[in-house]
Amino acid sequence: MAKQYKSLHPVKYYRDYLSHNIRPDGREFDEFRPTLLNVGTIDTADGSAISKLGRTTVVCGIKAEFCKPKAETPNKGFIVPNLELSPLCSPKFRPGPPSDQAQVLTQLIADIIENSHCIDLKDLCIFPDRLAWCLFVDFVCLDFDGAVVDACILALMGALQTLCLPSVDYDPALDNKLVNLEKRISVPVHSTPISTTFTIFDDKIILVDPTVDEENLCSGILTIVLRGDEICSLHKPGGSPLTDEDLSSCIEKCKQRATSIKDLIKTVVKDYNNK
Amino acid sequence: MESPQFSCKLGVLSRPDASVIFCEGETVVMAGIYGPIEVKMQKMLIDKASVECNYRPKRGLPGVEDKLYESLIRNICDTALVTSLYPRSAILIALQEMHNSGQLISCAINAACLVCLESGIDMKFMFGAVTCFLTNQEELRLMPPISDSAVKASFVFVLDNVKERILASHTEGSFSMEQYEEAQDLSRKQIKNVFAFFKKTLNSGKEM
Amino acid sequence: MPKDHKRINGPEETVPYNLFTKLNTKTLLTKFEEAVCNGKRTDLRVPEEHRKIFLKSGIVSQAKGSAYIELGKTKVIVSVFDPREIPNRTDYSLKGEIYCEFKFAPFSCVKRRQHQQDTEEKQYSAIMKQALESTVCRHEFPNFQVDIYALVLHNDGSVLSAAITAAGVALSHAGVPMYDAITSVTLGIQDGIRLLDPNCEEQTLCEIPISSKQESSHGVIIVSMLDTHEQISQFYQYGCISVEDLSASVDVLKQACKNIVPVVQKCLVKHVLRTLNEDVED
Repeated sequence: MAKQYKSLHPVKYYRDYLSHNIRPDGREFDEFRPTLLNVGTIDTADGSAISKLGRTTVVCGIKAEFCKPKAETPNKGFIVPNLELSPLCSPKFRPGPPSDQAQVLTQLIADIIENSHCIDLKDLCIFPDRLAWCLFVDFVCLDFDGAVVDACILALMGALQTLCLPSVDYDPALDNKLVNLEKRISVPVHSTPISTTFTIFDDKIILVDPTVDEENLCSGILTIVLRGDEICSLHKPGGSPLTDEDLSSCIEKCKQRATSIKDLIKTVVKDYNNK
Repeated sequence: MESPQFSCKLGVLSRPDASVIFCEGETVVMAGIYGPIEVKMQKMLIDKASVECNYRPKRGLPGVEDKLYESLIRNICDTALVTSLYPRSAILIALQEMHNSGQLISCAINAACLVCLESGIDMKFMFGAVTCFLTNQEELRLMPPISDSAVKASFVFVLDNVKERILASHTEGSFSMEQYEEAQDLSRKQIKNVFAFFKKTLNSGKEM
Repeated sequence: MPKDHKRINGPEETVPYNLFTKLNTKTLLTKFEEAVCNGKRTDLRVPEEHRKIFLKSGIVSQAKGSAYIELGKTKVIVSVFDPREIPNRTDYSLKGEIYCEFKFAPFSCVKRRQHQQDTEEKQYSAIMKQALESTVCRHEFPNFQVDIYALVLHNDGSVLSAAITAAGVALSHAGVPMYDAITSVTLGIQDGIRLLDPNCEEQTLCEIPISSKQESSHGVIIVSMLDTHEQISQFYQYGCISVEDLSASVDVLKQACKNIVPVVQKCLVKHVLRTLNEDVED
């Protein structure tokens, strides 16, 4: 019966639950879904990670290639992030070029990477003006169940921490490069941005870590990314307005979340390195 | 504190239902609106109008970054317009970047608000946007610094005119919580000028 | 290549670093001898032994049916969506359509894959469609289309057969009417040695002639079978294989396909039990 009610009156179904201070999946308003991270599962990538937030699943794979630095920034490499919301992960998406949503989220992730300075592009330079690394960071969503940006950023951190690039001997006079696959070096990760998504339901109730149903029915979304004590992105793309108090309580929740996620990343990466 | 000067010209285009060319400091955006118009079958909503936004950069085709601005502006207009009055129709807002000297997003949002007001489509509230810059010397200002490298962070706040609550926020760079709040306070002060300018423009008829 | 405006583009020219490693002077023959040394392969399998299979259904919550398969390091995920009306179609088709999309994740292979479907992926999609068309009771949903999407997360050989086996499970998980469970196996042949379920390196070694003997066979065969009546629903072969070798290989493949059936059945039984338990709880 509940199933029929849900599909006929989705909003009312949610309101009934929320009026009893609980969400349909049994969570409190400020409760996160179980979070999982798995690193280094894909050998063909130079760094990889799979993150799960409840049922939302994102795989992040990093592949490095050689390129020539730009003339205006001769000592910097490149990071090229792209999020693929393939039709595999949800019936919402159709085959073909990326949907608007995929493009918006890709840009948001690119902004977060840039703003958090988690990778110094100068570290990716091999020889100024001649040779640099270009990191292709590809995110593939396997299951689209809300808070995809959070899952992407978590997977990104896992993948970056396990990223290993082969060492290169570059001879500038002859433009010769020799790659030594045995000797691999990791890239320093300077900060750990942690993203948290909130939804505003009926202009007043704030739900943390939303599922896809909640994202579809809500009247506003808010994504906060923290890097240590600093905020590196506070993105609220329209939707119902938010008071200052609500906003600061959201930031407070992010802070708590950030510590637990950081611990998770730390333990996962440690386990991987000990293997 | 020095703040950007506004100027605008309404009704610059003849085809759209309303159009405006809006300058904020040295940033210029042109906006036009069509609506309510016929809607494509796929996008039709039975209980309200579907709001579409089209953002074009100064040159070339719109890229991924422009899509982000587009969705931001679309969401804001969707919230502000009383779309339930026009079911089974579409409202199309077209924006064209003319010149960018730092406050592009806020300028585009303000242009979108003016064009919505001018078109006579019912709105729940007015909205306005303010860009604040945090320089490398940790100083907050409303005018964009001369070079981009002098900016540590920039904030765009979109507020409504009824309760001055935050409709949308977009940030670049990293900053502390206090700085965010300070920027918010600053933009609350500045938004009054924006709304005052909107009112003055609409009262004085066609030209400013 | 034209610029892709809907994605973030990197620098115009990038080169994979693998091209600049120390030159490998081993001939293909020695490489092949290393791959099959004393009748054992690098992962200690005998030539006609299949890798261990891990199969799980119900991976993607948003899809009607889904399955995840692992063959050693090869990882493939498949999801299936409800039959839906075919858009922009005016004529009546008596049989339902099957739409297959096979895709490699950009990071799944040694060389980076592009986001757009390339010709190899398009070919694999077509083979997959061919294999599944004869398995699904298409007359049950005329004028409708079932979408099947396969994504390779890690390519370590035999990806297409992994995708077809998983697609069979995903289809039954979605409740699409089918005649039988479908299983698929790849076999590589080189210098008279048959390598069942080859990994990435073995598969490449089987693609080119390395023996000096003119008549020796080399190539790759992919066969999909419906178990109950031992029907072959799809057969794909490339390379140059003599008729005797081919018929002998098909017998090996037939047996290998049969051996996978219990794995598929077990996976489906698990799914049925899970659904029953959920219904009891409701």
